Amino acid sequence: MSNPWIAIGALAAVAILIPVAMIVVSALLRPRVPELSKRATYESGEIPTGGTRIRFNIQYYMVALLFVVFDIETVLIFPWTVIYNDAVQAVGMTRALVPMLVFIGILVVGLGWAWRNGAVRWVRSPRAQRQKVER
Amino acid sequence: MVESAPLPETFSDLLGLEQFGVAGEFLAGLLAAGLVGTFVLLNTAVAGPWAKRKITASFTDRISVNRVGPWGLGTIIVDSVRLLSKELIIPEDADRPAYDLAPLVLAGSALLGFAVIPMGNGIQVADPEVGLAYVFAVASIASLGLLMAGYSSSNKYSFLGGLRAVAQNLAYEIPLVLTGASVVIFAGTLQMSEIVAAQQETLLQLGPVAIPTWFGILNPFAFALFVVANLAEVGRNPFDIPEAPTEIVAGYQTEYSSVYFVLFYLGEFIHIFLGGALIATLFLGGPAGPILPGIVWFTIKIWAVFLFTQWARSALPRVRIDQLIEIGWKGLLVLSFANLILTAVIVGVVGV
Repeated sequence: MSNPWIAIGALAAVAILIPVAMIVVSALLRPRVPELSKRATYESGEIPTGGTRIRFNIQYYMVALLFVVFDIETVLIFPWTVIYNDAVQAVGMTRALVPMLVFIGILVVGLGWAWRNGAVRWVRSPRAQRQKVER
Repeated sequence: MVESAPLPETFSDLLGLEQFGVAGEFLAGLLAAGLVGTFVLLNTAVAGPWAKRKITASFTDRISVNRVGPWGLGTIIVDSVRLLSKELIIPEDADRPAYDLAPLVLAGSALLGFAVIPMGNGIQVADPEVGLAYVFAVASIASLGLLMAGYSSSNKYSFLGGLRAVAQNLAYEIPLVLTGASVVIFAGTLQMSEIVAAQQETLLQLGPVAIPTWFGILNPFAFALFVVANLAEVGRNPFDIPEAPTEIVAGYQTEYSSVYFVLFYLGEFIHIFLGGALIATLFLGGPAGPILPGIVWFTIKIWAVFLFTQWARSALPRVRIDQLIEIGWKGLLVLSFANLILTAVIVGVVGV
């Protein structure tokens, strides 16, 4: 049995080669007409105002933090799912299932806490709230 | 089921490449990768966009491409030449290395996912023991590409689109992986060929029709969850807010033109088909099916999933960003935990 990761490396080479080849072909075909106003970013046809690094909703941070917690959890769940069937036969269902139930339970309690504190609720800015009331 | 070696070994046996050691293995891998890459690109780059236009036209009762060639098939060639020969316009304040790398990352990561998918008739680039975990890991590199594109374009629409794309991928990644894990409980392995082999037994014999133990039939709840999470993961309606044209122009790809746009478009199509290949492998028995060879069944199954995504695109309204977060974190996540525990209990009691 050969090492499967060599073949995966070969596919990685192909996966990089194909887009690069497309870029090269396009570079040979396409015209180049430099003109400054062309390079302005698109803002509905207006002249762009202000920087791009604007302030944005805090919610994007909140869900990213939550994601880290749950993603590590899924990594820990995978080995358990692989051996679960054998473990049930070897040591019985209670001993195979209950530790994982406790583990998931702790995380579900964490999700409930985050839910109660509004981490997974979309936060509206005070200004957006005001507009809604006025309408 | 016929036990078949992965494709590189077939090539190396055929050409006598074992004598060259690692270099021979790499060469055999390259040949296999070239074949699989060609198959994937034939589906995604050549047939996909054309089929998408035809399907959307049928749904919305319009006439689509029909001028060049029979059924407008020549449009495929015309379009590729047209898009590749467009001028590449790079925005003024673009963050150069990231701006150029983003399309490569997106298209490359999607193609890499196909490495472990068994396509029938022994067509599979590699079969490592951690196959399923590998697919999830590689497919989620795409989020990085989307964020790079959104941030480096120096456009406010791109920036918002990139953030939305990442928020969405994060929210739906966990239900996707957890539902995949519930399949692993049945199969007892992460190896893709074993997962497919576990679905070959007959569940029920209805006269001449044998209903197989496909996990989509054994656990339809997980199947539904996975399909929904997959729709969000590939960013199709009703979860297409990262590029919602009526809200943020085109999201993260607003500032991309010419070949970079082609790569984005291609990357999205490969991702849709990778999602379809995953659904087919995990829930629909992979390349299994009567009479026809495996590769044909596999192609039919991924196209069925593609048709479903296009149907969803035409039929379902887009959700808002706040609804998206709430559906993901309050709905699908809780349901996928319930599915995982339920599956574990049922498997423990019944003892598959």
